Amino acid sequence: MSLIRHLLVITVLLSCAVVFRASGASAQSSSLVKSDRAASTSKVPAEVLVVLAKEEAGEVDPQLKKLTALRRPPFNAFRSMKILSRPKLTLTPGKDALVSLPNGRRVKLTLLRVMPNGRYKVRAAINRPDKSDYLPLLQVVASAGDPFFVAGQSYQGGTLVVGVIVDPKKTAQ
Amino acid sequence: MESPKTEDQKLQMFFDGELAPQEEAAVRRSLEGSPEGMARLREWEQLREAMKSVSEDWAGEINSDALFARIEAEISAPVVPIEQPEREQPALRVVPGKRERRVWGGVATGFAAAAAIFLAVMAWPGEPTVDSVPVVRGSEVLEVDFGSNTGTIFEVEGGAGESLAVVWIDDEEVGLP
Repeated sequence: MSLIRHLLVITVLLSCAVVFRASGASAQSSSLVKSDRAASTSKVPAEVLVVLAKEEAGEVDPQLKKLTALRRPPFNAFRSMKILSRPKLTLTPGKDALVSLPNGRRVKLTLLRVMPNGRYKVRAAINRPDKSDYLPLLQVVASAGDPFFVAGQSYQGGTLVVGVIVDPKKTAQ
Repeated sequence: MESPKTEDQKLQMFFDGELAPQEEAAVRRSLEGSPEGMARLREWEQLREAMKSVSEDWAGEINSDALFARIEAEISAPVVPIEQPEREQPALRVVPGKRERRVWGGVATGFAAAAAIFLAVMAWPGEPTVDSVPVVRGSEVLEVDFGSNTGTIFEVEGGAGESLAVVWIDDEEVGLP
């Protein structure tokens, strides 16, 4: 009888532990979901860097010196870089944000979601109104302040390099 | 083995008439030449007489019939319960025994089980929290559709060593406006 009572006590304690753990995990999960949802519903600033790069010798815009990636392949073929525009916009989840390019095309950016680790899942497309898409679809995951680039469009004897920086003021630690 | 009687003991036994006839005769003979022994005997005799007279006086004063009648009456009288003032009951304490040892054994088992469960729960690998997720730098391509164009995906190292995604698209099919 005593053994049975002890087993019952242990069983009850185990059950409590499992319930406690499950509720904790559930709360944690719901907390993550809530955090994710809350983060994804917030607006995120972004910046689009439109650069005209040329192979001919010239000046590299001082503002681009911080972007050391533009001095590495495949960008190291360019010897001059000029910032044509640097529009700032706000990305809202599920809502397209448009940025016009000097060649008449438009960059369409959509914030798909904020990942649990704080990174941003972004969809990008480049097209011309009423024309076939130049870049129908591009999905990227980027950390705050870290750019991704779309390059290759010919413009004025050079090449357009489009850099997109999500949440530029927030640098990942 | 009977120890030899002292003179004093013999004298007392003689006084009480407890000696054997031979011993009694011997003591009687010794007393004839012992004025001290005779004096002691007289003192004892006086004491005996005095006590006897006192006891007879007390016995005369006591009505033995009335005394026994009262005792019988007390015995036959109905018992009247005596009301005791209420007092606070002393705290009960379990006397150590098998039962108590069993209870403490159960408590100890419970505590041991609780401790084991606590350790198991604490060591249970849970879902990674946001804080426990390592920070990932850079950018990467998840999906790309070049459409009718051709393109290349590069990974360029950033200033902090992070990998940055570069999508390079050939711009041959689409002419400038």
